[in-house]
Amino acid sequence: MIIKSHPGEGLLYQYAAGDLSAAMTLVVGTHIDMCKACRQTVCEIEQKLCEENLDTLVSVASTTMSKSQCDQMLEAIFASSACNKQTRQPNEILSLEGRRFTLPRTLAHNSHRIGEWSKLVGKLWRAPLTLDNGNQTNLIYMAPGAKVPEHTHKGQEATLVIDGVFNDEKNEYRDGDFILLDPSRTHTPETQDEDCLTLATLDAPLHFTSGISRLLNPFSQLFFR
Amino acid sequence: MQMMSERTSTRGSMTTTQTDAADRAAELLAKIAENRSRAAFSELFRQFAPKLQSYATRQFGNEQTAMDLVQETMTNVWHKAHLFKPDRGSPSTWIFTIARNIRFDLLRKNKKRKDDISADELWPILSEQNDSLDDGYALDHDVLMQEISFYYAQLPDAQRVVIEKIYIEGKSQQEVSDALGVPLGTIKSRTRLALKKLKELIVDDN
Repeated sequence: MIIKSHPGEGLLYQYAAGDLSAAMTLVVGTHIDMCKACRQTVCEIEQKLCEENLDTLVSVASTTMSKSQCDQMLEAIFASSACNKQTRQPNEILSLEGRRFTLPRTLAHNSHRIGEWSKLVGKLWRAPLTLDNGNQTNLIYMAPGAKVPEHTHKGQEATLVIDGVFNDEKNEYRDGDFILLDPSRTHTPETQDEDCLTLATLDAPLHFTSGISRLLNPFSQLFFR
Repeated sequence: MQMMSERTSTRGSMTTTQTDAADRAAELLAKIAENRSRAAFSELFRQFAPKLQSYATRQFGNEQTAMDLVQETMTNVWHKAHLFKPDRGSPSTWIFTIARNIRFDLLRKNKKRKDDISADELWPILSEQNDSLDDGYALDHDVLMQEISFYYAQLPDAQRVVIEKIYIEGKSQQEVSDALGVPLGTIKSRTRLALKKLKELIVDDN
């Protein structure tokens, strides 16, 4: 399947350099698991970053390591024990509403961070991902015929389709599509005959804009948190 | 994807010295993985510690944190050398991605809570189960062999011989290593460099 919607090159650079937030790194990384073209691009960016940052030895004002510092560090490394961090077994399968989804690698490695599913208005379910303080990252499941009320974003929202299809006013998005929305854009995601599992991160609450759904605004903190 | 091709072609090919250094580093990593060779690691350490120190000092502006990055990165190299895949990328790129992950964690250390996410969970490059993704360096299948033969004639001899044996005679990398009496790590890195060079030649031509 061809993925149509990708992170921009700037975002891939920030991803490869380790400059994105943990939440954005997770969403971009999961897209990269699903997208061979971006995986290739990131390989090349990493190589370029390495050439600029590591291969080209820039002498810094501070003194380089002395012989004794080197020996000391080598000794400490040889004395260290192999990684004692317990590695969690990645869990690739997610079951919800009688459906089974296969999670891409980065998400599978973080499956223990997926919290309880809760039902929202309409035909929407949400499970928060606990990454670190202050982010709002969720798995969102839209059953067939679900509709998110029209809203704008106070901050940037990144959405990745894990499985299925949804559409807004402009486009249709399928497996692997990555969508970055800026604060100015209003949109109304919905599903038709198929369901859709997405991963979304938001750096500020949603703001609902139309009709009765404006009543949700006082609660929007609770909505996609 | 156009931008990507331009970037690939402007970067040009590595000089012989760089290739030799990369081959040497790959050999050292193989020795560390196979024999836990302290001599090999010490040589690799002397090659990379000053570079890592310089990178980290520019990133943190703090000498102690910079030294922490050097030590943690090289500790991972010592214990995880077996996870380096010469056909996936150069030794220095692999070490750079480890340093990038350590930097990510060090930058978050002061605001760290117990269950905060770590770089290893975001970029599982040091995970033992790392083989599920396709090889990103595989060439598109629809490029015809005849077209390729025109391009591979332009490769440096050492790389061309390896490519002929693997892709035309169908030998395994181990068999090529035995036949030429060259270490397996070198064969793998020559394969990778040759495929990269071929890709650049093809991209440039289009």
